[in-house]
Amino acid sequence: MAPTTLPRTDVLIIGGGWTGLTAAYELAHAGQRCVILERGEHRHDATSFAGPEEHDEMKYAIRHHHMVDVTKETLTFRNDRGQQALPMRRLGSFLPGSGLGGAGIHWNGQLWRALPSDLEMRTHYENRYGSQFIPEDLSVQDWGVTYDELEPHYDFFEQICGAAGYAGNLQGERRDGGNVFEGPRSQDYPNPAMKQPISNTLFGRSAESMGLHPFPIPSANVTREYENPYGAKLHPCTYCGFCERFGCGYFAKADPIICVYDRVKEHENFEIRFESQVLRIEKSEDGQTATGALYLGPDGREYFQPADTICMNAYALWNVHLMLVSGLGKPYDPKTRTGVVGRNYAYQTIASVDAFFDDSVITNPFMGAGALGVVVDDYNGDNFDHSDLGFVGGGYIACKQYHGRPIGYQPVPEGTPRWGLEWKRAVRENYGHHGDIVVHGSSMPTPENYLDLDPTWTDAFGRPLLRMTFNFPDNDRRMSDYVMHRAVEIAENMEHVRSVKSTNLAAVGSNYNIVPYQTTHNTGGAVIGTDPATSAVNRYGQMWDHHNVFVFGACLFPQNLGYNPTGPLMGLAYWTLHHMKNDYLPNPRPLMDA
Amino acid sequence: MPAEYSRRAVLGQIALGGALATAGPAGHAFAALDDRPWFFLTDNEARWLAAIVDVFIPADEYPSATQAGVVDYIDFQMATHYGKGARLYLQEPFSQGAPEQGYQAPCPPAELLRRGIAAALAEGDVTAQDAAGRERYVQAMSEAQGNIDDSDVPVGTFFTELLSLTNEGCFADPIYMGNNAYAGWEMVGFPGAHAYYLSFVDKHNRPFDKPPMGIAHGEYPHTFPRIVGGS
Repeated sequence: MAPTTLPRTDVLIIGGGWTGLTAAYELAHAGQRCVILERGEHRHDATSFAGPEEHDEMKYAIRHHHMVDVTKETLTFRNDRGQQALPMRRLGSFLPGSGLGGAGIHWNGQLWRALPSDLEMRTHYENRYGSQFIPEDLSVQDWGVTYDELEPHYDFFEQICGAAGYAGNLQGERRDGGNVFEGPRSQDYPNPAMKQPISNTLFGRSAESMGLHPFPIPSANVTREYENPYGAKLHPCTYCGFCERFGCGYFAKADPIICVYDRVKEHENFEIRFESQVLRIEKSEDGQTATGALYLGPDGREYFQPADTICMNAYALWNVHLMLVSGLGKPYDPKTRTGVVGRNYAYQTIASVDAFFDDSVITNPFMGAGALGVVVDDYNGDNFDHSDLGFVGGGYIACKQYHGRPIGYQPVPEGTPRWGLEWKRAVRENYGHHGDIVVHGSSMPTPENYLDLDPTWTDAFGRPLLRMTFNFPDNDRRMSDYVMHRAVEIAENMEHVRSVKSTNLAAVGSNYNIVPYQTTHNTGGAVIGTDPATSAVNRYGQMWDHHNVFVFGACLFPQNLGYNPTGPLMGLAYWTLHHMKNDYLPNPRPLMDA
Repeated sequence: MPAEYSRRAVLGQIALGGALATAGPAGHAFAALDDRPWFFLTDNEARWLAAIVDVFIPADEYPSATQAGVVDYIDFQMATHYGKGARLYLQEPFSQGAPEQGYQAPCPPAELLRRGIAAALAEGDVTAQDAAGRERYVQAMSEAQGNIDDSDVPVGTFFTELLSLTNEGCFADPIYMGNNAYAGWEMVGFPGAHAYYLSFVDKHNRPFDKPPMGIAHGEYPHTFPRIVGGS
């Protein structure tokens, strides 16, 4: 049956997460009739995330009930081009969302900004260390948009979230107790920093005594009654320990449903259609613009929704997938190293350090929150001298207490067997006496790490699966090893520590493994920039090849930061929306010359 | 269809086989659930699983896996959505691939367990061995590669599945029929689902000694097991 063509809308938005709902809010209030197509279901914090039912580790943390169902959409994966990619048959390494609010309902709420030097990475490194410094096999590039340009948008998103923290750089004034390495903030965080448990406190004390600069992790777990600029009311975090992988029934973790959706859902220009799976974006005959999207509705029938402007607001990986199956932009080819869609896929380079305390330290690990931590940024970005280190990038070192859920939280010292009496004893003896330290590192792009379409397997809608080819670049292995050793030094210097264990997931000799959870921070594949040969979108997030298509999310990152992506990608989203409202929509055209 | 038989009888046979005969606390988790049929397992499968999971989590001053209800938990998981392949992409073709590529078994977990246990039993009956023999058996299985003899069951996947299920059965909320009487939570000191720590989190080094409370407010044994919802 031929698809039913629906009445035209001004703006079609694909995906109802943080960026999609925010696009709808901003553009609806700018007089644009907006339709969101969301593949998942309606859900709401009040009715869907309330405890104690939500506090079900099995259902949400282990069986992933808030996340995408891989029987409908997944990808294939291999470490290198010589290997056959096989389907990701289960979720593991990363957990994309589905349903109203997207992955934004089950994030931890760690709310960062990029460093000024991160956004001009190639230029910055070449200026400081010389033009030969960046290893040749890394396709590192500038973002094409600067910190000063993004600052108002970072700031606004922090107000939307009711961010809790302490500014380390207030209009150029350095302030101890905050992140002294950050770019200047126009104003302080809207809410005070979180309370800290003993493990994080001991970490901070150790780091400070070593001359480092600890500060509380910037948090979207709100610390007092708060009303955001859209009028959403948030409540103080209860430190319940069910944050990442869970929705927040306390209205205490900023999410796109309570912070944005509730404030726009009644607007006359706003419409959202649930269980509406976009299959393909259609192009005009000349290929210069997109005309709308073909989607499968909740009744199992196909519809065509025409639109003047299209916003791509799916998760990073699915945005790239939709471009590839729709023929938007030129696909990347690793053999010729040409094309842009699928290029510069990157991830996050994670190492963990476990500090085991003597029994006088009682951590109560179940008293946690997603962004509850003390962190040092001394080894992130280019906050430290890379001259003699042989790598670019870095990561933050954080001691976190984000949950004590007993299936997932079983820290045991070095040398403990994986089962049996000794394992059992180690689990119970260390559960309440452990400091959880992570090195959350950047990820550099290479010509051999990329996304394309799989030749064999298909999704539930008959489309080829996305194919991911990824392994850790040598640069990132060196970086992770270096920063992990700094983290070990801090851990060993902590009071009451009996032993320290460290694990580098990017260690030399080990491949990236899609099974153990690492982060839901997949980046790149449709990157932002100023050169159409190396970016899919221009510096406003507008596709070079199709000027009425705007792209949002972490797929824009030319390389991944040492930070969690939500703050940085929302800064870009507000930047794009600002230019759509003030420049593009009044006069639709390419905003930059190719 | 699962055969009707007594759990006490099955576990009693295991106890006679050695593992539970030397266990600490008297009695076991199944006494209260006697005469209820398994949802999925056969008695041979239950007996085999009981032997293996008690190697993973043996009894000491805290309950063993079987005492904590792990076999009950696995039975329930295999009978419901997870066991049947919910949230598991099963499109052909299948290829074993590299460990980094994850689960590539050509069937959902319930079938994996059924085929794996059948293949393992065909090699010999581990339940007839003493505790040391069972430990050696499990160690050997953890180190094996390829498929279990005469089957298409990748032994590494099978082993990982067994270890994960055992862990889950010990520590998941009791609504899933394991973690009997909060055996796992009592052992580590996890207070459960009713979580509100705003006034405690920065009071350092103070034990929090409230007894565990699950989602169903401690209503066990499991009169109202909740089915894990599909997709």
